[in-house]
Amino acid sequence: MRLLEEFTVYAHGLRTPYLLIKGGKRVSLSTNAVKSVDLVKVYHSREKVEALKGVNITIGRGELFTLLGPNGAGKTTFLRIISTQLMPTSGDARVLGYSVVDEPEEVRKHIAVVPQDVATYSNFTPWEYAYYFARLRGMPASEAKGISEKALKAVDLWELRNRMCQTLSGGERRRAIIASALSSNADVLMLDEPTSGLDAVARRGVWSALRNMVEAGKTILLTTHMMEEAEIVSDRLAIISKGSVIADGTLDEIKALSKEKYRVVVEGKFEKLSDFGEVSKLGDRNIVYVKTQEEALELLKTTLKMHLRAEASPVTLEDVFVKLVGGINNSENH
Amino acid sequence: MKITKILNDALIIGWIKSYPDFRRNPLTLILIATVGAIPLFFMLIFSGGGLIVHGLIGAMVSSATFIGVLAGIQDISWDRYVKIREMIVAMPVHPASYALGIALAPFLLSIPSLIFYGTLTAYLGFITLEATLWTILALIVAWAAMSAIGFMISTYLYKVSMMVLNNISTLLGFLFVFIPPVFYSETILGSLSWISVLIPTSNAANLIRAYMGLLPLSAETIIIRWVILIATTVAFVVLTSVKARWREN
Repeated sequence: MRLLEEFTVYAHGLRTPYLLIKGGKRVSLSTNAVKSVDLVKVYHSREKVEALKGVNITIGRGELFTLLGPNGAGKTTFLRIISTQLMPTSGDARVLGYSVVDEPEEVRKHIAVVPQDVATYSNFTPWEYAYYFARLRGMPASEAKGISEKALKAVDLWELRNRMCQTLSGGERRRAIIASALSSNADVLMLDEPTSGLDAVARRGVWSALRNMVEAGKTILLTTHMMEEAEIVSDRLAIISKGSVIADGTLDEIKALSKEKYRVVVEGKFEKLSDFGEVSKLGDRNIVYVKTQEEALELLKTTLKMHLRAEASPVTLEDVFVKLVGGINNSENH
Repeated sequence: MKITKILNDALIIGWIKSYPDFRRNPLTLILIATVGAIPLFFMLIFSGGGLIVHGLIGAMVSSATFIGVLAGIQDISWDRYVKIREMIVAMPVHPASYALGIALAPFLLSIPSLIFYGTLTAYLGFITLEATLWTILALIVAWAAMSAIGFMISTYLYKVSMMVLNNISTLLGFLFVFIPPVFYSETILGSLSWISVLIPTSNAANLIRAYMGLLPLSAETIIIRWVILIATTVAFVVLTSVKARWREN
């Protein structure tokens, strides 16, 4: 009875049910963090460009979901639409149940965005980024201070919090921006290629911060074209190419899309490689894709007899990705 | 969105945009003051002090408006370039807060120079308390008008490169501050003095002259000039809002 007095559940029309708490605050009951339905975006500049061709993606709450695709695949367009920066041509997406088309103000209360290639104000410090962006969320000063400290510690910038961004390295500046997104305390973080241009150590710092956020219950949508990043940090991922989702699932599910389970990299000249499997030529090296471990071993033995250097391993996400987006050049079929 | 949240966010954005200069780059404050000091210096040399009050009025108006138009163009374009604007669009921040905050930052930066020139004017005995209040109001409206012009230009020229926009904004700043009768009385223009009314900087400067008793204007004329000054501001705000898009299509 008390519950009924304090909350009202709405479930009208197509809207996702939500709780209306006393005081007017709404709490979404949606089980999905993000759900796009037939999202289409057509740019009309000099020529018509179909950036998204009916994209359907569902991201569960508390997941780190990676959108993987080559340059120009539509990743940034998708992220900009669901972060309410860009209107879709048709279709809709819901973030925690709120429509990005009809309820952008509600969506914005729950998201934080790190755009691609975002730069910093050179005379700003990481502390100021985290603190003032938290204040813009409507947090009082004391709460903003506390959450800024947490955010800066999460990206390992606490010691450098009072240094001007112009004196920080590229990776540190990127982490300062990520800290400003983290300090928002948003439920859904959207990061567009946050580690591009960073060195290996800085990248790992960002990955660690992202996984910590997921552990804390946040949902993260990450776009990247780096396979290693997608493999290491993702709970689930989708591959997008030319505006369409061509694969969607866990890492194992995506890898299972390839019939070939092993790859053998062979150095040197070997004319009959295509007898063993599909070959991808990379100059003086060849990657041979084979279906079984036995086939991989047989190829290894053959190459050893010929005094060629060869190395076998399970197929990587990159192998599957290149196959799916049709990017194998100079390939010879088995 | 509540009006208190809109205003609070505008203050935060204004502070974000001005605080680093206050704290780490105080040369900006000197630069703002210098825009008015250079013509003031020459007026002092060549007029033997006779035109100094006109120069001080010009210095106050230029302090409040010169970087206003620059900021309106450069800050918005820069934020778009570095993509900070994208982060703010995706936040629960009203576009009015952003625009007001961007406009507020240069005004905050011009306050020290306004205080300096205002104090000098008062010390030399050119200004009464009543004239002070009208002067502050005229400076605020002139600042709003010039910021609105800056917004309009940055909105309509959003595809133009940053380098070109920087030059356009600096050029406009000089054109609005040094060509029209800001540092000199509009009576010098003779039959063309009506042009002064159409330009926010010179309109504000000559209203201030009228309140200081340096320019004889009737009460009706003063009211008309205020209406034109405010209408100019509103017109540029409307022109900007017609074209500006917080969320892209």
